[in-house]
Amino acid sequence: MDDELKALETELRSLRPAPVPDRLWRRVAAALDEAPARPAPIADLRWLWSVALPAAAAAALMIWQPGVRPPAGEPLALGGGAATLRPVAAENVLVRARDEGFVTLDDGTTARRERLVFLDTITWSNPRTNVSLTWTVPREEVRVVPVSFQ
Amino acid sequence: MEDLPAHDSWKQWFQSHGPKLLLCARQWTRSAADAEDIVQDAFVRFWRRQRHLPGEPMALLVTSVRRAALDRARGDDRRVRREDFAFAGDREAFAEFASGLEADERRLALEEALGRLPPEQREVLVLKIWAELTFEQIGRELGLSPNTAASRYRYALAALRQELTAADCHG
Repeated sequence: MDDELKALETELRSLRPAPVPDRLWRRVAAALDEAPARPAPIADLRWLWSVALPAAAAAALMIWQPGVRPPAGEPLALGGGAATLRPVAAENVLVRARDEGFVTLDDGTTARRERLVFLDTITWSNPRTNVSLTWTVPREEVRVVPVSFQ
Repeated sequence: MEDLPAHDSWKQWFQSHGPKLLLCARQWTRSAADAEDIVQDAFVRFWRRQRHLPGEPMALLVTSVRRAALDRARGDDRRVRREDFAFAGDREAFAEFASGLEADERRLALEEALGRLPPEQREVLVLKIWAELTFEQIGRELGLSPNTAASRYRYALAALRQELTAADCHG
């Protein structure tokens, strides 16, 4: 790359992207600072336990290794030391989405409310011992998106 | 890029990386509102659940933002192909860069020239310069080889130079 292009590259780097608008700040703050969403009614999500419980049981079986005992002097720790378990994969699957229509917010603005149900799965692994732990849990997310009719 | 653990609050991290993320999102959305929605979702999910995952946070977020933009475009029944996803035209006018008191004319010229770049070059340029991704990361993100990403980047710079030179000549 010639000097002129390098100079142009430097000039571009000096351009600062436009700041995040206040409305986006407020929305992110509201989403992150709000209390965790209440779990969905049990009746709706009962079937999810059939997924979550076997996953938890499988994880427990992977960690509990009958007949394997740590050498004397070494502390018994999860997967050879809990701190050595590292997250290696994460995914969330949308299992259900429902549009609950328009709602009116406290300040009088109109918004659309959507209720989404995800199944989150995170896998941790210890690369030294190959012990892994998979955690699967249902999660409900309610999104309130301001709408404009203009 | 700064390490995530150095930041003790989401506000600090969002202050420094939010604008870059929004700029990236703008490359793949038709409106500022779409870009903001997507950045909000991606960032909230990242901060709540993904920030301790290994890897480069910005690369993870860019992936998340691009996928969400792609989903949204599909959801809107827009005929968008994955390999040709960057929007070519009819984007809502939107100031993508901060205005400074000095050299504002030059900034505007640069911004206009950027806007005229072919979308496949512009997205590579944005990911390289402002998202600070490597060519390997850009290639992975866009489904290109790192060499192709680097070529597009060089073509983009050359095209920008040509645009700016022509603009200078005309006055």
